[in-house]
Amino acid sequence: MTSSDPAQFPVVAARALTQRVNTSDGPLLILSDVELAVKAGETLAITGASGSGKSTLLGLLAGLDQPSSGELFLLGQNLNTLDEDARARLRAGRIGFVFQSFQLLPALTALENILLPLELAGRADARERASHWLERVGLTARSGHTPRQLSGGEQQRIALARAFATDPEIVFADEPTGNLDAETGARIIDLLFELNASAHTTLILVTHDEALAARCQRRIHLVAGHVNKAAAA
Amino acid sequence: MNFARLGLWLLRRERASGEWRVLLLALIIGVGSVATTGFLGDRLKRAMSEQGAGFLGADLLVSSPRPIAGWPQHTLATSSAIEFTSMVAKDDAFQLATLRAVDAAYPLRGSVRIAARPFEPGTVRPAQPPHGSVYVDASLLPLLNAQVGDRVQIGETRFSIAGVVAEEPGQLGGVFGLAPRVFLRADEMAATRVLQPGSRVSYLYQFAGEAKPLAAFSAALKPTLDRTQRLIGSREGVETVRGAFANADRYIQLTALISLLLSVAAIAIAAHRHALRHYDQAALLRCMGATTAQLRTLYSVQLLTLGLLGSLLGVAIGAAMQQVLALMVLPDAVTRLPALGIAPIGVALVSGLLALAGASLPALMRLIRVSPLRVLRRELPPLPLAAWISVGASATALLALVTWVAGDAKLVAVFVGALAGLTGVLILLARLALLGGQAVQKLSHGPLRFGLAQLLRHRFDSTVQLGAFTLALFLIALLALVRSDLVDSWRAQLPPDAPNYFLVNIAPQQQADVAAFLRQHQLQASALYPMVRGRLVSKNGSPIATTLPPEARNNASLRRELNLTWTATLPANNAVLAGHWHGNQRGAAPVKGTPAGTPLLRSDPSAAISVESGMAEQLNLTIGDTLGFQIGDQMLSARIGSIRSVKWDSMQPNFFVIFAPGQLDALPASSIASVHVSANQASVLPGFVKAFPGITVLALDKVIANIEAVFAQVIGAIQLLLGFLLAAGMAVVVATLLASLDARQQEAVLLRTLGAQRAYLAKSLWSEFIALGLLAGLLASACAEIAMALIAHRLFELPVRLHPWLWLVLPAAGALLVGLSGWLTTRHITRVPPMQSIRALS
Repeated sequence: MTSSDPAQFPVVAARALTQRVNTSDGPLLILSDVELAVKAGETLAITGASGSGKSTLLGLLAGLDQPSSGELFLLGQNLNTLDEDARARLRAGRIGFVFQSFQLLPALTALENILLPLELAGRADARERASHWLERVGLTARSGHTPRQLSGGEQQRIALARAFATDPEIVFADEPTGNLDAETGARIIDLLFELNASAHTTLILVTHDEALAARCQRRIHLVAGHVNKAAAA
Repeated sequence: MNFARLGLWLLRRERASGEWRVLLLALIIGVGSVATTGFLGDRLKRAMSEQGAGFLGADLLVSSPRPIAGWPQHTLATSSAIEFTSMVAKDDAFQLATLRAVDAAYPLRGSVRIAARPFEPGTVRPAQPPHGSVYVDASLLPLLNAQVGDRVQIGETRFSIAGVVAEEPGQLGGVFGLAPRVFLRADEMAATRVLQPGSRVSYLYQFAGEAKPLAAFSAALKPTLDRTQRLIGSREGVETVRGAFANADRYIQLTALISLLLSVAAIAIAAHRHALRHYDQAALLRCMGATTAQLRTLYSVQLLTLGLLGSLLGVAIGAAMQQVLALMVLPDAVTRLPALGIAPIGVALVSGLLALAGASLPALMRLIRVSPLRVLRRELPPLPLAAWISVGASATALLALVTWVAGDAKLVAVFVGALAGLTGVLILLARLALLGGQAVQKLSHGPLRFGLAQLLRHRFDSTVQLGAFTLALFLIALLALVRSDLVDSWRAQLPPDAPNYFLVNIAPQQQADVAAFLRQHQLQASALYPMVRGRLVSKNGSPIATTLPPEARNNASLRRELNLTWTATLPANNAVLAGHWHGNQRGAAPVKGTPAGTPLLRSDPSAAISVESGMAEQLNLTIGDTLGFQIGDQMLSARIGSIRSVKWDSMQPNFFVIFAPGQLDALPASSIASVHVSANQASVLPGFVKAFPGITVLALDKVIANIEAVFAQVIGAIQLLLGFLLAAGMAVVVATLLASLDARQQEAVLLRTLGAQRAYLAKSLWSEFIALGLLAGLLASACAEIAMALIAHRLFELPVRLHPWLWLVLPAAGALLVGLSGWLTTRHITRVPPMQSIRALS
């Protein structure tokens, strides 16, 4: 953090990050005093049991939600000072997402789903890039198919291509293998790390898949909203 | 790529989705109905105003029941005409016609076109025919079995038909074929001897010239006219007709609005489901960096595109439908109507966009405010406050739309109130019907039980569907009943020997001959009633208008001349409600202060008259009041001795005011009688017309048939409009079904996984929709019977009767229409293999 090398500068940083929600039984603490810094190019796994606050943390780090308290920096910007629309502008083209339920648009073809973020980012060579990324995930033959015509593994490969297509600085992945069988999941993991390595992207993923977590450079383990220091590598 | 383009791209990709289709369809239907009435109303209005002075035939028209002798000094061009009804006969055929005896100057403004053959455009010519001839309306020719060049008898003179009237001022078309137009020469009218003292005649005086002298003349003339005489400027002439038309047009437009409002319901439901299915999309776009403003652009562009597309298609359909309507209502005038106007397109587009915005903005607002976090946690954003504001705004917008069409606050209140009331009743009925369905469900089994269970489970949807469909079926059925039933019921209650002809205009010297003719041919006639025309002017010495509250002053019996008669015997079908029948009592008095004319009227201040009860009620008249009448240029007063009820539909000559004998005897009067002519006696009528050419023979059958025909035309046109309502009802059914499609698919998958066969699912779907349609049909039948009974009993005092066929036709129509739309919407859920469904839903 002291170096001026941009690769050493944290792209995501959290200080005393706390998230509470109000329920009918009173306030519920979901995350408590999370301290975290992720350097550019780093791969980080957030693990923990169901309900430990993993997805909440991912959402906060990606700027999808506002923390109750604590400071949060994303790509050098203090998220606490940005409203939702300003955070959205910050994400545009610079952040990629991979979801457990793929989240492809059902009306669009495989190619068009990859095209969508490129078009949104206003890339001039959007079509070529989309085709290129479709080829990278090995689904050129499925270009004109809609998500309903694709298997789960194929859908997630399209989602990976979509996440990396804009050359984002960070990719957030939420249980990317959660909806897939072990064999398919393993192939998706291979592809994810292969794409990440070649693009030098920062990768932050949430999982309870040990094999997946093990392939990350670093992992933090959440227990009931607290970072379990013992497990942190 | 900007978000507007992205919106269009996504729209193109999703164009096959059910929600967009229903939304578009509902919009087309709603706008179509508004555009249809808008186009037609606009064409008719412009047809009237574009003709301007030509519509009146002059710049200024004075219409009077009596000739006017002295005029203020003027330098205007003038023309005068006399209009009256009389018989026109050829061989054994005869027909009542409206004759206008015109001078060479008629018309001063506008044009008359005369053609050599019916339905030809003809050439512009003066309306005055050559000597010894007449111009006639095309509709008269087949009635008389005549052609141009044939000779016809009018009164005691024969004329040759010199041409057909293709166009005349003030005429849009020959809708009312009751008394077709005949033009004859003013200087040849006397020879026909048709006009008798007491005949109903309009003297029409026309003036044309520069604005200034016209205004001066009009100002000088006004004070000299009494209330039976009317002064109409070309602008007022158009305004009067247009005013009456605008009222009718307004009600028709409101009918169209009901379709639009029902479409709004369908749009709102479809938009809601569209939003529901696009939260994920919106959240994903937010993750990818889309701001609220960008999403707003995206979805607004989609909505606006759909709105314009739907509205334009609706306008196109409206343009086609209005032509069909015009052909139905004004078959003869369509070619003469102006082309389609621009203004109604604007109105229809605005209505469509307003309806779409009002119905879908709440859903859209939720959509653009979706949290990006939804991609991680499937939670719906709460309905933000702004959406409620938009609901309020859209309700206000729709209210504004209704206000715009309806014009005045009272009508808006009545319309909105009636609609709200009807909605409430329909919801209540639908709920009750569903309770009934519950009972049936318990007794049924298999797919039927499952289908009915669906109906009950989606209780809200079912209520909306039932309500919408019941409304459409009910209104259509009610109009059909009104059309077929009222006239039938009324006819059925007439005795078989009820008079079916009126003999009008019987001169005093003809009375004995007419009686002898009728006796000789064994025709049953009513008594002969002498008829004098006069106007009620005062009550107890004060002008009658000042004795009434302002809103009652425009009463028709004050404006027009009344037919006054005298008799010693109380006519059949009359009953004295208060006071004593005057019998043979005599006497009448000239009103104090009136200039003494020739003393045709005998004086007796205690002379009694009998007044019809409805008139007495409207004008606030009681026994003992002294009424003053103006008859010609004479004034006469008499005391009300009795108030009497009159059975107006008895087909007898009926009168508002009956004098005691002796008061009016000296006035020139013609008589009226009614007569029953059975089918095998009809051959004597041509003989009668030949023997008494001046007497008008009015065939009541024809009058009724004519009224029926016009009635049927108008109701047919309105029913066509209600077709839009039915389509909108179907759109509501489809929209609500689409909204429940996901849940249904889940259930279907579950059932199939558990081993249900496709046929079972299909049967349960059909049971559900047919049950819904049957229920809607039954409810609509009940509503229509009740409404019809109220109309018959309250409005027309006719016996209430039931219509068993209704209870078969409406449920069958409902089952068919709802069954089809329901099955078409949901059928694929029985076809998708369970595995694929499971995947699609996960």
